[in-house]
Amino acid sequence: MQTKDQKAENHTLFEDAQGFIFGTAMCAFAVVMLRDMGFITGQTAGLALLVSYVLEAPFGWVFFAVNLPFYWFGYKRMGMKFVLKTFVCVALISAFSELFPHLVSFEQVDPVFGAVMIGFLQGAGLMAIFRHGGSLGGIGILALYLQDATKLKAGYVQLGFDAVLFSVAALLLPLSQVGYSLLGAVILNLVIAINHRRDRYIAM
Amino acid sequence: MPSPIPLPVDPPKHTALEDLQGFSISLVTTAIGLSFITQLGFITGQTAGLALVISYLTEWSFSWVFWLINIPFYALAWFQMGREFTLKSIACVTILSLLMEIVPNWMQFSHLNPLFGIVAFGVLTGYGLLGTFRHKGSLGGLGVVALYAQDRFGIRAGIVQLGFDALLFGVAFFLFAPERVLYSLLGALILNGVIAFNHRRDRYIAN
Repeated sequence: MQTKDQKAENHTLFEDAQGFIFGTAMCAFAVVMLRDMGFITGQTAGLALLVSYVLEAPFGWVFFAVNLPFYWFGYKRMGMKFVLKTFVCVALISAFSELFPHLVSFEQVDPVFGAVMIGFLQGAGLMAIFRHGGSLGGIGILALYLQDATKLKAGYVQLGFDAVLFSVAALLLPLSQVGYSLLGAVILNLVIAINHRRDRYIAM
Repeated sequence: MPSPIPLPVDPPKHTALEDLQGFSISLVTTAIGLSFITQLGFITGQTAGLALVISYLTEWSFSWVFWLINIPFYALAWFQMGREFTLKSIACVTILSLLMEIVPNWMQFSHLNPLFGIVAFGVLTGYGLLGTFRHKGSLGGLGVVALYAQDRFGIRAGIVQLGFDALLFGVAFFLFAPERVLYSLLGALILNGVIAFNHRRDRYIAN
């Protein structure tokens, strides 16, 4: 016997809610570690981290503010439901990343282990958010918008953004920290590239 | 017992490399989750919970106790679940035991709120177990006995596992401060919630 809500293809509202809370909490915990170790990451979150280091501003507010302009592109390209889900996810990460440092801090983390752990945690968090139809907004949306408008490949826009971000970071932060950050970003992208398969996790 | 939800026919298979990265991520995340509760002195359910209780009482290392406790279950697994399952279980349990020895050297907390810590444990270890199950691994132990009891004596596997946890937490109330056990109970609840809501063979269809 199967009710409508049990169908494999559709997540219920509750399932989406637990997916988003799980995903954003994992990402925010990764941000706590990134900040503790002075690392950055790619995309909008990386930009927000770098800005927060340079201005000594709280990451949560910077991340929330950096994302604001992109919702317009999100609305044009992906529709209202997507923008709302993205807004909720960004807001949750902003709030969690301000809250968590009061609840957990590290005395010492091995930098290589830390970079791997950050990649795993971010990968888990982002994958859950994607599988539940959300996103963390930002550059990804702009890249998709540009791809439609100019035939510039979205992947290249994102790669180009990260290349610029990491180059600027190399001028501002110690090189070892930028290197570990790069390791974490590579692992994060591998986790998603290997495991985010719509043909295997089939629910929407 | 028939599955309540029809499973996909002829599901896609994970490659060896995909399994390898799946187990790496899952076991590292499980070890990180467990590090939160060993730091706080909390327990959890099932074989890992029993190993934690013993390690707190004797001050032996959790890794060794967990690894040794699992040995008798492999014999049963070999006959009940087959060779591949047993070998995968031995590998997963051994790697997790090794990681639990190493991770505390790589990561030390300076401050950890107990409520945050137990929730983080439930979420991280739940995710780790989910990944392990989706790649057809297991952390051995009690689950095998429960499945055997179901096949041999008709007792539902879930009831056996629940009974074991009830006994374990009951004993823990006599051994440890009640708040320690209550926090632990919350973590076990969250862990089981993560798996119950997300371990769906009809959604994650690869084998």
